[in-house]
Amino acid sequence: MPAEEKSKMEEVKGTTISRRQFFKEAGAISAAVAAAAASSVIAPEEAEAKTTFAEFFQNNYRLMTDEEKKEAIARLEKRYSEEFAKKVTVDGAPAMQDVLFGYALNIQKCIGCRRCVHACVKENNQSRHDTEIQWIRVLRMEKGNFTVEDMDKGYPNSPNESFGIQVGGNAYKNAGVALEGQHYYQPERVPEKDAFYFPVQCMQCEKPPCVKVCPVRTTYRDPDGIVVIDYNWCIGCRMCMGACPYWARRFDWGDPHLPAEEMNPKTHYLGNRPRMRGVVEKCTFCLQRTRKGRYTACVEVCPVGARTFGNLLDPASEVRKILDRKKVFRLKADMNTYPKFFYFID
Amino acid sequence: MKIGSIAKVIFSAAATGALILGVGKFRTEAQQEQPARPAVAAPVTDCFESREGYTARSRVENVVPEYGYPNIICSQTTGGVLWWGDPYDETIPIGDMPDIDDVTKGDYLTEDAVIKPREPQLTYFNMDPDKHCVMCHDGMTVPFPKDKKPRLITMHQDIVEDSMELMHGEGAIWCLDCHNATNRNTLIDHRGKEISFNQPQKLCGKCHGVEYRHWRMGIHGKRIGSWNAGGKKRWWLCTECHNPHTVQINRFRPLKPEPAPVLPKGMKNAAHESVHAPSAGGHGEATPAATH
Repeated sequence: MPAEEKSKMEEVKGTTISRRQFFKEAGAISAAVAAAAASSVIAPEEAEAKTTFAEFFQNNYRLMTDEEKKEAIARLEKRYSEEFAKKVTVDGAPAMQDVLFGYALNIQKCIGCRRCVHACVKENNQSRHDTEIQWIRVLRMEKGNFTVEDMDKGYPNSPNESFGIQVGGNAYKNAGVALEGQHYYQPERVPEKDAFYFPVQCMQCEKPPCVKVCPVRTTYRDPDGIVVIDYNWCIGCRMCMGACPYWARRFDWGDPHLPAEEMNPKTHYLGNRPRMRGVVEKCTFCLQRTRKGRYTACVEVCPVGARTFGNLLDPASEVRKILDRKKVFRLKADMNTYPKFFYFID
Repeated sequence: MKIGSIAKVIFSAAATGALILGVGKFRTEAQQEQPARPAVAAPVTDCFESREGYTARSRVENVVPEYGYPNIICSQTTGGVLWWGDPYDETIPIGDMPDIDDVTKGDYLTEDAVIKPREPQLTYFNMDPDKHCVMCHDGMTVPFPKDKKPRLITMHQDIVEDSMELMHGEGAIWCLDCHNATNRNTLIDHRGKEISFNQPQKLCGKCHGVEYRHWRMGIHGKRIGSWNAGGKKRWWLCTECHNPHTVQINRFRPLKPEPAPVLPKGMKNAAHESVHAPSAGGHGEATPAATH
């Protein structure tokens, strides 16, 4: 923890009561009351109930000691293994040294098949139905129609005289992108002739607006550049969803529906572990994979190789070579969020 | 202890108790409401990688025993591979690759680059275990074509879909520019060098040099496995994404897309998405009546 932050915390402790202290004192005095309440209300045979109490008093993941992190992870592993009836591992791997993750997507290649969307769901244990949660959204963009015939037509379009303003008739047409992105396209085959496709997911901004607004500081940027969420500390206020200019964050109002047989047992505490009701979730660049050296699920599944992933600090990485040699842009660069998700064309 | 802090503690104790009671009540209610989970459909076991009808894959259970992963997960709706459990399944080393003498040498390590070999997948190649294609195409049994005019390939209509429409290089390239006339087990480049079906990149790269160099650098095409610049990767070869026979019609052959996301509650259809920018008055309304 930075010294500045620490002193701030102490200051807070001195003047008023902090959340941590609140629960500490409350827990000490009302232990009997609370324990009685817990045992009488929550069914003890439930796998979830066994750990709920300890989890409820758990600290913010960033403020936990290594010991506390280990305990929290062990609790989760036990609970998930019982809940999903198979051995589930919860990883707590920290960010790798000298790594800054970056992503590049060839917008020219994308055919809009949505395989990345569903690979992500399979990998990251999203709720399958009611509510269906998907971290990637592929937008269909209809190509506009510039025509040669309209090039010479001026404005105002008077048959008798020109006012000397020649802007071309195409200036008043929906050219380039004629429609807003279409989310629910479902043609027989993709790609279609008159469209291109634009996948959107978390951009892992260097200056993430979602982190700025989080009132409980449960979402933060890890040293490898991934914006992560401690789901246990999330209060579900959804401020981050409002702040995100890329519509990258998702929220489940109900209990997630994740069938045990489809559950991915390789999880990370800050990544794809099964979420509870009422927390915000989003793409983490599959950190349970990428922190172990493997490509993300969406990169691996893309049938046309439009997606690449790598270390921005390594000049030999694929992403760096793309930044060197291709025509690259970032979505909504004017927002000064500095995304590490790059779109490019050949 | 000051009176204030005692009061605070008592208050907090009461609040915590109430909170826990509240949470518990909420949970029990939620459990009762929960609808029965729909049965999960049996997994599809056969699908294709990138090109439909090119690389067929079968799901094998428990390839990664640590997590109980299958080698692949197939899509329930489109017959495509949706998720990779083991990226190096059914692969062999990429084989000998010549150095490129330019700045783009790239992260190319032969021992770490693996591919899925093409030869075992070729139907006619494997009809005879030793001679392969040369069994018929030995220069005598099947005569050479007299000219380069497109004609129906009678014997191989199952693998060459429509030989009348074949086009590569705007019609300047024909079959025997790539397929070896005297040894049909291999491909052949313009200098007469034989090239294995497992290494089509050596042939394609002779004309498509920029793509070839970019592919070797890792900025064209597809790789799976390790993201690390020196790590082990499975490399997709040219023909695993592009059909060399029809590439001029479609860079990628159109695929069936995965299902669209579920519409938000209360939205009946997505017709509003197909309405062009609003004219005067109507703000993207779906019905013509709404535009004045």
